Amino acid sequence: MNPNIEISELKPDFIISRVTELSVQGWRLVQMSASTVQGEGDAQQVELNYSFDKDYKLLNLRVLTVSGAKIKSVSGIFFGAFLYENEIKEQFGIDFEGIAIDFRGTLYKTAVKQPFIAFAPKKAAVPPQGGAK
Amino acid sequence: MKQTIVPLGPQHPVLPEPLSFDLVLEDEKVVDAIPSIGFVHRGLELLAPKRDFEEYVYVAERICGICSFMHGMGYCQAVEEVINLQLPRRANQLRTMLCELSRIHSHLLWLGLAADAFGFENLFMHSWRLREKVLDLFEEMTGGRVIFSIAKVGGLRKDISTETIRRASKVLRDMLPEIKEICDVFLNDASVKHRLCGVAVMSAENAHKLGAVGPMLRGSGVAKDLRVSGYASYGELQWEIITEKDGDCYARCAVRVREIYQSIDMIRQLAEKLEDGPVDTKVLAAPKGETFMRLEQPRGEVVYYVRGNGTRFLERFRVRTPTFANVPAVVTLLKGHELADIPTILLTIDPCISCMER
Repeated sequence: MNPNIEISELKPDFIISRVTELSVQGWRLVQMSASTVQGEGDAQQVELNYSFDKDYKLLNLRVLTVSGAKIKSVSGIFFGAFLYENEIKEQFGIDFEGIAIDFRGTLYKTAVKQPFIAFAPKKAAVPPQGGAK
Repeated sequence: MKQTIVPLGPQHPVLPEPLSFDLVLEDEKVVDAIPSIGFVHRGLELLAPKRDFEEYVYVAERICGICSFMHGMGYCQAVEEVINLQLPRRANQLRTMLCELSRIHSHLLWLGLAADAFGFENLFMHSWRLREKVLDLFEEMTGGRVIFSIAKVGGLRKDISTETIRRASKVLRDMLPEIKEICDVFLNDASVKHRLCGVAVMSAENAHKLGAVGPMLRGSGVAKDLRVSGYASYGELQWEIITEKDGDCYARCAVRVREIYQSIDMIRQLAEKLEDGPVDTKVLAAPKGETFMRLEQPRGEVVYYVRGNGTRFLERFRVRTPTFANVPAVVTLLKGHELADIPTILLTIDPCISCMER
């Protein structure tokens, strides 16, 4: 990976303190995103990425959780997070607590609730050898 | 004081695409603004695991019709980084050139829309007349005016002759007097200044804190432009980040105007340095791993996240577009302004709802 990109894993309980620390140090919230990942066995987990920028370096805080879990909102620290949190809430079912502007599930109008959870593969795909056409 | 809620959008003359704000007014002053998006959300990210990663370029470039090339290229760059694919120099130079042409076209389009918003019909028509010439260049170079389908994982689908590139650079330089003529009106006309100067001022600190990107950020004096990182061929060009200090609507407009001149100069430099050689390299593996890729689009920083598992289908593709990042800033900016200024303020973020509703 690009040497200017750093990924560090974090427990959900430490999000607020770490994000506050980054805010004080002058980091800018670039984006928040989520992906589904396979945990042990068939357990499906959600991986949250909080991306921050300072001097063109991208720092990603990675938090592993599950759909339906409660996570504290960082929109009190970075107001711009409210949009990302609403999006992840609707697409992945993460319940962010205390979002600055909470759309309560009306940001997107989707036929299927939490589509990224509903359509996520149940088991990890086994990559074939090679991969090229 | 009694409060009134006025819905602005999703259909409004100043909004070319659906976006809505519930404006809470006290008399004519906005005291709060609640945004609503998602009217035309397409779920393109969810489509990525169902398409071959090389074919998904066609989907990526349909995220937006204005910076379609940059979306296709950004996606390709992300996949290429995961595969660890080195591109021929000419491919990077041509990609950079198409990016800068896209920036000129996008800024001219915005200038036209802005002129239309503050009632300057003539300026709108002249901006779009010049934009047509850029679209003609796209057509000559790629065969397309909106969607080019020229970017692919590993380079470009077809070469563009050096002669065509040099002619395009000359056409742009010949356009300079006309561009200067309309840009001088944007920057010096009293009626334009009246609508833009001192309106919706955002400090550098606020722009940074609210996560603003692109001309929104640079208009507030923050020198941040991802092209500095030197992706594609930006590392071989002589240029400086354009910033303005005032942080108002006029400053954001001035940044875009100056970036048009800068892009024309970048294309001139590229045309002079253009190297002969291949424009693609063979893709011998499927992406296995992950990366974040950031580019500078006309509206600002865009972020692509790609994760592959070694098959031809990506596990996850995510794109955070500049307009999505600028919405929180504009929500904050709208507060405290007169209702009549709202369309102009909204336009100064150069909203691209198509991008946002990927």
